[in-house]
Amino acid sequence: MNGTPRGLNRLLLTLLGLVMVVTGVGAVVLATTPPAARWWQAWAGAQLDWLVDYADRTRLLLTSESWIWFAGAAFFLIVVIVMITWIANQGKGRASTLHSYEGNADDDGASGAIRLSCAVAEQALKSALLERSDVVGVSVTSYDFRRQTALKVRVLPRPGVAPHKIAAEISELVAALDELLGLEVPVLLSIGSGARSRFTKAERVR
Amino acid sequence: MSGAMKPENKRSDYLRQVLRRETHSARSGAAIVAAILVAAGALYCLLEMTLGATGQDPWLLHPLDAAQRAAGLPGATPTPLLGAAGVLLALLGLIFLCNGLLPGRRARHIIVHPRVAIVVDDEVVASALAKRARMAAGVTREQVMVTVSARTVQVNIRPTSGRRLSEEHIKSAVEDELAAMALEPTPTVQIKLAESGVIGV
Repeated sequence: MNGTPRGLNRLLLTLLGLVMVVTGVGAVVLATTPPAARWWQAWAGAQLDWLVDYADRTRLLLTSESWIWFAGAAFFLIVVIVMITWIANQGKGRASTLHSYEGNADDDGASGAIRLSCAVAEQALKSALLERSDVVGVSVTSYDFRRQTALKVRVLPRPGVAPHKIAAEISELVAALDELLGLEVPVLLSIGSGARSRFTKAERVR
Repeated sequence: MSGAMKPENKRSDYLRQVLRRETHSARSGAAIVAAILVAAGALYCLLEMTLGATGQDPWLLHPLDAAQRAAGLPGATPTPLLGAAGVLLALLGLIFLCNGLLPGRRARHIIVHPRVAIVVDDEVVASALAKRARMAAGVTREQVMVTVSARTVQVNIRPTSGRRLSEEHIKSAVEDELAAMALEPTPTVQIKLAESGVIGV
């Protein structure tokens, strides 16, 4: 539910994959079929001659080297920056404010603002869930998703616990939270298993 | 669409989007690997380009020499080496391509609920069903194995020697539990009793 740019991930992965497949297949074809190799050498040789010629004609006075190497360096610098931004965008979108409300004249005339921190909802749910003995791990985080703040509750039950019973009890907690806050925050409940829940003992008596 | 219905619909749309994201992979891992690979390659090219632009000696290869070598392929490069490099590159590219194009469903099911968006890992479903099957069959933990996929639940049971198990009874117990979970998509149950029994597990 985080702000990972999924469409962009898929687009860039597909592009990179295509480029690599085409290059790889091209190399195999070059290695195995002499006519293709001759065609490639003729075509690429012509491009290379043009490049050498152009690099010769565009030498700068200061360094006596062509400016196209500067242009190439700038291009690769941009590529590096784009890649770093791409990595930094994975898994972003954590929120800190659950709800903010400005007082206005239509309401009660009082000036001022209310800001509810996400920690209110997170800790209310977490402390309620940590009391349960059939759950070994709980984490509650909040994300901004599609211009709305939503809570993500991840619970790791012990082996053998029925997921629908946990789901029903947590939705009761969520209903209680709605009452407490006076607003309905979208909630995602993710019931999973981690290394910790996998290796703990199943409850035999409850 | 009537005015009173609207907020309700808006919320269920929002929850549906959340659920779609939770049941499909974000491809973050592949994206990070790809970005690091491309950034490393670009950094090297950046270095050589800068050295070339300032008239310094190249670190490994001047960009123009590199272009010359690429244009002269296969040249003196041994055929098996070039072919193997091409195959390796194409295979790596195929991995990225598949990551980009395949839907990437995660092993999770949805529990339909009007207020909360709920996803359950298949592993949790499997362990709950295994417990129910074990109780119905009266065997120990080690004798039951349950695998859950998107549309099927397979329960493998190895009976205790000398005790006949009723497949119908176990199947109805597991189906009851599954119906109570109300998963989406709903899987069908297959029970497999092993031919030979065991003692003392």
